[in-house]
Amino acid sequence: MPRILLVDDEAAITDNLAPFLQRSGFEVVVAGDGDAALARVAAGPPDLVVLDVLMPGRDGRSVLRELRQGGSTVPIILLTQVGESLERAMALEEGADDYLNKPFDPHELVARIRAVLRRGTPPAGPSLTGAHRLRSGSLVLDRTSQRVLRDGAELVLTPRATTLLAYLMTHAGETVSRERLLEEVWGWSFHTSTRTVDTRVAELRRAVEAEPGDPQLVVTVPGEGYRFAGPVEAA
Amino acid sequence: MRRVLLAVAALLPLAAGVVLAVLGRAGRLPGERLFLSALPGDWALAAGAALSLLAVVALGTAGLRDRTWRRRLADRVAEAGQDRRLLLSRLDHELKNPLTAMRAATANLAAVADPAQDAAVGTIEEQVLRLSRLTTDLRKIADIESARIDRRPVDLTDLIEEMVDVARDLPGAAEREISVDLPRAPWPLPPVPGDADLLSLAVANLLDNALKYTPPGGRVEVRAREAAGEVLVEVADTGQGIPPDELPQVWEEMYRSPSARAVPGSGLGLPLVRAVVERHGGHVHADSRVGSGTLVRLALPV
Repeated sequence: MPRILLVDDEAAITDNLAPFLQRSGFEVVVAGDGDAALARVAAGPPDLVVLDVLMPGRDGRSVLRELRQGGSTVPIILLTQVGESLERAMALEEGADDYLNKPFDPHELVARIRAVLRRGTPPAGPSLTGAHRLRSGSLVLDRTSQRVLRDGAELVLTPRATTLLAYLMTHAGETVSRERLLEEVWGWSFHTSTRTVDTRVAELRRAVEAEPGDPQLVVTVPGEGYRFAGPVEAA
Repeated sequence: MRRVLLAVAALLPLAAGVVLAVLGRAGRLPGERLFLSALPGDWALAAGAALSLLAVVALGTAGLRDRTWRRRLADRVAEAGQDRRLLLSRLDHELKNPLTAMRAATANLAAVADPAQDAAVGTIEEQVLRLSRLTTDLRKIADIESARIDRRPVDLTDLIEEMVDVARDLPGAAEREISVDLPRAPWPLPPVPGDADLLSLAVANLLDNALKYTPPGGRVEVRAREAAGEVLVEVADTGQGIPPDELPQVWEEMYRSPSARAVPGSGLGLPLVRAVVERHGGHVHADSRVGSGTLVRLALPV
């Protein structure tokens, strides 16, 4: 049974989330602040850490930094604030494996935990979400400069399409719903606008696919969403 | 302070004249008379110049005062906007943890509740979800007002047609006639610099509203044209209409007309539209007649 370390200063959250995760088949250990979390990891690393960013005292970002600087590769899912794209970008850069905006659907958290656990911990080096450069075949995404290259030539993409590609590539192999993309990439929850996602995916395909009509990288999962089907590695 | 100084400055020539006159009477100035001849026209010129000078001084003072007040007013408005954003972001932040806890709690409850309580648990789940959306959307409006946006040429013809396609798939759209009128001749709409995703969101919201408030059998018309350096996008409907006294308030966050209570909504659609359009340097306008319908117009600078 995978062991999850749940870190949040709000007892109302941990009191309810812990039993939910247990019922979903995880062993759960709770820490109420950043220092307690670090002590827990030092005593015996869990299989995954669910970490709240905003905590009094040592906050989630500081815990994340401390763990990564100490060489720990334990998978970490950050609980962030929606709309603060800067916060999310920094979280990924500092080595989180995924993030989820509060308030989230607890089922979604379970799905993310399973997806991150399935990915497995890479033997060394940064995880996909923390990598500055991602490669899939001849396609290279440089996240620091927000540039996308194919066979060494730069592709012209809108910033949103680049962010969308980054999200899909860091979640390669996972089917991501339009609603989730809207929330994670756009920061929206307006239900009338899932077509926006399709428009950006079409733009992305025109740029990155050899044959946009027959996509091999960004594939549609009918009735569910999109999935990045190519192999992705940190470059 | 500045006004007092100006008044003093304006009175200086008079004061100087008075001082010289007093000195003259007291014999401190040379006693012989100066014989200066002037024609009546010259006197008139002098009087006119004096009056003009006075008027200029008065106008200048008024202008300065005006500018000061305008600046103060703008400062106040900016301050109020800042306060509102801060409040929204704090509210959003303070609601997040309770909502997260409630969602986890209801998920637990749903797993163990006996079937007789399904309806109650379902209601709680739905309402918590609604609250979550509300806070997210409120925050998003504040974000649109302050965050940097993309500025690339956006083809509104494509965008509007696409959003109309989406609207035709909405529930109830089939019972309402949707017509689109976009210019092709002599030339199509010029591209508008902006964020295509945000503009789509604005147009989608207008269409959504028009369909929601128009009874089956009614009509929704979408038009656009270019006028004086702007693209005007209009969404008109034959819906229930908005009473004149409520019209200005439809652009306010979470305002819901008492007559629209029966239609589900958050009261955030039009404020969002306004935030998007104003962020693009444009403006919004609504016209309505109760019983006839409503027209909403977006003006976006080219």
